Amino acid sequence: MGDKSDVLQGTLDLMVLKTLESMGPLHGYGIARRIEQISSNAFSLNQGTIYPALLRLEQRGWIKSEWGMSETNRRAKFYTLSRIGRKKIAEETENWERIASTMARFLAPSN
Amino acid sequence: MDWIRVQLARIAGLFRKGSLDLDLDDEFESHIELAVAEKVRAGVPAERARTEALREFGGVTQVRESYRMQRGMPWMAQFGRDARFAFRQLRKSPGFSLTAILTLALSIGAVTSVFSVVQTILLKPFNFREPGRLVIVREVEKEFLRTAPSIPVNYRHYLRLKRDAKTLEDAAIFQQPGFSVSQSGDRPRIIGGISASPNFLRVLGVQPMLGRDFAESDAVKGAPAVVLITYNAWRVFFQSNPSVLGQTLRMNGDPATVIGVLPQGVRFPKVALSPSIASGPSNEEMILEPLIPDPYFLKNDQGGFNFSVVARLKQGVSVEQATSELETLQRAYSAAAHLPIHLGIAVTPLSEDVTAGISAVLWLLFAAVAGVLLIACVNLANLQLARAVAAERETAVRAALGASKGRLMIARLAESLLLACAGGLAGIALALGGLKLLLALVPANVPRLNEVQVNMPVLLFAAGLSIAAALLFGMLPALRSLHIHPQAALQSNSSRSINSQEGARTRNILVASQVACTIVLLIVTSLVLRSFSRLLKQDRGFNASHVTLGEVALFAPQYGDSKPNIAAIKRAFVERVMLEMRRLPGVQSVAITSAIPLTGETWVDDLTRPDHPVPAAQRPLINVRWINPEYLSTMQIPLVSGRNFTASDLANPYVALISERTAREGFPGENPIGRQMSEIVPDSQKTVTVIGVVADGRMNGLKDIANMVYLPYWAYTPWSPTFLVRSSQPSAALIPEMRRVIWSIDPQVAIPALKSMDDQLDESVSTERFQTIVLTSFGAAALFLALLGVYGVQAYSVSLRQQEFGIRIALGSGRGALIELVLRQAALPVLAGVCGGLALAALALRLLRSLLYETPVMDPYAIGASVLVLLVAAALAAILPARRAACIDPMQALRIE
Repeated sequence: MGDKSDVLQGTLDLMVLKTLESMGPLHGYGIARRIEQISSNAFSLNQGTIYPALLRLEQRGWIKSEWGMSETNRRAKFYTLSRIGRKKIAEETENWERIASTMARFLAPSN
Repeated sequence: MDWIRVQLARIAGLFRKGSLDLDLDDEFESHIELAVAEKVRAGVPAERARTEALREFGGVTQVRESYRMQRGMPWMAQFGRDARFAFRQLRKSPGFSLTAILTLALSIGAVTSVFSVVQTILLKPFNFREPGRLVIVREVEKEFLRTAPSIPVNYRHYLRLKRDAKTLEDAAIFQQPGFSVSQSGDRPRIIGGISASPNFLRVLGVQPMLGRDFAESDAVKGAPAVVLITYNAWRVFFQSNPSVLGQTLRMNGDPATVIGVLPQGVRFPKVALSPSIASGPSNEEMILEPLIPDPYFLKNDQGGFNFSVVARLKQGVSVEQATSELETLQRAYSAAAHLPIHLGIAVTPLSEDVTAGISAVLWLLFAAVAGVLLIACVNLANLQLARAVAAERETAVRAALGASKGRLMIARLAESLLLACAGGLAGIALALGGLKLLLALVPANVPRLNEVQVNMPVLLFAAGLSIAAALLFGMLPALRSLHIHPQAALQSNSSRSINSQEGARTRNILVASQVACTIVLLIVTSLVLRSFSRLLKQDRGFNASHVTLGEVALFAPQYGDSKPNIAAIKRAFVERVMLEMRRLPGVQSVAITSAIPLTGETWVDDLTRPDHPVPAAQRPLINVRWINPEYLSTMQIPLVSGRNFTASDLANPYVALISERTAREGFPGENPIGRQMSEIVPDSQKTVTVIGVVADGRMNGLKDIANMVYLPYWAYTPWSPTFLVRSSQPSAALIPEMRRVIWSIDPQVAIPALKSMDDQLDESVSTERFQTIVLTSFGAAALFLALLGVYGVQAYSVSLRQQEFGIRIALGSGRGALIELVLRQAALPVLAGVCGGLALAALALRLLRSLLYETPVMDPYAIGASVLVLLVAAALAAILPARRAACIDPMQALRIE
């Protein structure tokens, strides 16, 4: 759990936050599916790995969770963005864009 | 922010592990169900849907584990497991655990209680504004530098220094007399008080909690009498009544109005007038009055060195800078005013000054008790080392199974930490009791004694100490576990064969260092004991037994110094008391003197001879006492030559007795009898004639023979006469009688002291007794621990070598030879330790010199006795395991394993 996976963790975190922002309250399965769909399944994700990420975000106070009923009338735990979470999205997005553009510059064919 | 929130959430997670686990399982279940439902809707057969859903989810167990790692505090859980394991291990050997905890508790308790005294008296800053800038200023008379390094301050010099000094923000002058205080009709009590210039509190940076501070107009002759009282005085005298302002207290018989109350926790230390003048017991200073100087002090440049001065240095000014500026001012003034004396200055930080008498003793005690703790730690290190060797296989198994080095170390350290925690907690409990014991022993004149308690810094210190101790005695065994090669350890059929050589060396080094520490402590103890017994056994020149003393303070309006016939009034009182006391049963003689014996130098003058004028610097200093003819027989001081006072001197009372040393120093090579001395009797130009010489005595303190000059009270009756009664009755019976007599003659005088002379003698050596008792007990503790250490190591080594000894016996070795073998083996580290200890002592003991009385630091008897005691104790400790070695049954020893 060293620093090496931090970027990846951050990536997953941001995906979760963005999903919750656009979809509203959603359960873990829904979040996982949504990420799969958006990434057109290119991003191979064990759906289970979403849960430690959700816990991490919840511990930071960025999201909240509550048991409720799904659209298909099943019991599920729903996650919602908190006020802090909403503010953090902008910050994290900017952060990620900086990393991405830096990486892009590295990866660009050098002349 | 995020980090804190995450940690809090994690800690919360620790406590709800069970319910959170269930919650997680529920969530996983619902995830799978949702996935299955979606797949079924998409047309996948039910069984395959579930399999696919599970596959897409990934490893449930891995997810659960990483989820848990995120949720709780894994390292804590791990440590919890180590601690539980350590606890079980310790419970399996209760003997070892109890010994360890007890040793730790006793030594941590002792260190903590000594530290709480050190902390309050030496380390805690005073409750004044920026106390680091406060200094005590004293004058120096270059002529008397040899006998008196510094002297109290002259009022005129104070005024001048205060006006001219640029390095001082402000300076206040004060005295700390006892006030005879009473409230409506009660018997007066002597209360510590301060008589100070009105700016006193402003110099200290203290403001009254109620009412107002002194103003300049309060310190003018004829101004209405006003006082400020401390928080405690407010509680004691006025039951914390908020409308205290304007009420009165009788001070020395006259009413004074309370104008203010100081805040809680503001306490003033007793400041010695000069280093050589004992400050007496530190009555709590409760009352402040403005100092109105007698006109005499405003005029006099060469006498009246009677005051203390506290000053506040300007921001950024050092003590050295202030000293050099004031020194220059003093020199310039001595020259400009054509004084026959050369003035200088002595500036000391307030905190240092107040603790000057006790700090060396306290630091020594602290060092000694820390030494005891160190020895205890070494003992435990040795025991733990033995346990680590015994647990080597287990460690090897752990290492073989892939435990990291850090985990191995923590696993071994856990035991030590657990022991230290238990020992530390018990130690704190013991410290509470130990502190009471210590405070009962500490001499009463130690400043700030009433503030000593086990407080937060002390508790933190004890906690830190426990952890440090655990690391100290647990680290070595823990580090050893790093060197274990799992293969070797597992292959060997007996844990005893591995590393035993190296282990024995480490253990011997530990024992040697323990012995070295012990030797130093023992030498310190025996030196202090010798010094104390010398102090008590030497000839004092007087006999204290069967004498009871009572001091009376004539501070009441009927003895006011403005009365024209005050001398006769005081004398009449003294004579009536003596007359009544002589009538008490069993009384052989009654004497008076002007100062309680053994309270340090008082009424110090220089001996001036009209027939033989010499510069001030060459005049010997003398202590003047006002007595009656029965003084010599009461104190049993022999007359050496000449005669005692008699009734025939009543007409011309200007006669004196001098001690042998005064005769030697004041009248070298002459017969002093018939010689004249001048400038001794207050308010009189009369010279006095020496009529007798008495034997030398240690009248002011057991450490010094004093230069005494005795005069009859007929010439001058002191304000605080002390009555000395020699009686066949015990003091306990005499004391209430003496009190009754004094108050039957005048119920308005205070009795500051009433006790047996033996008690007075005890009190005068209380610092020495304190250091002797406490150091002796530390020395004994160190010896006992060292004994345990030697015994433990030998016992362990014998148990390791049982087989070997069995073989030796089977091969025909004599039992005597075996005993010798073990003893020789034990002797090596002990002798090495003794040598190391002696070397250490040579370095450390120099610091002890100032605390010893007429005992050389390298006293051969003390050193010899210490070494002998240690060797005998070590031999005793080694003989038990040696005998066990000799009694081994070879058959049984060989069958083991």
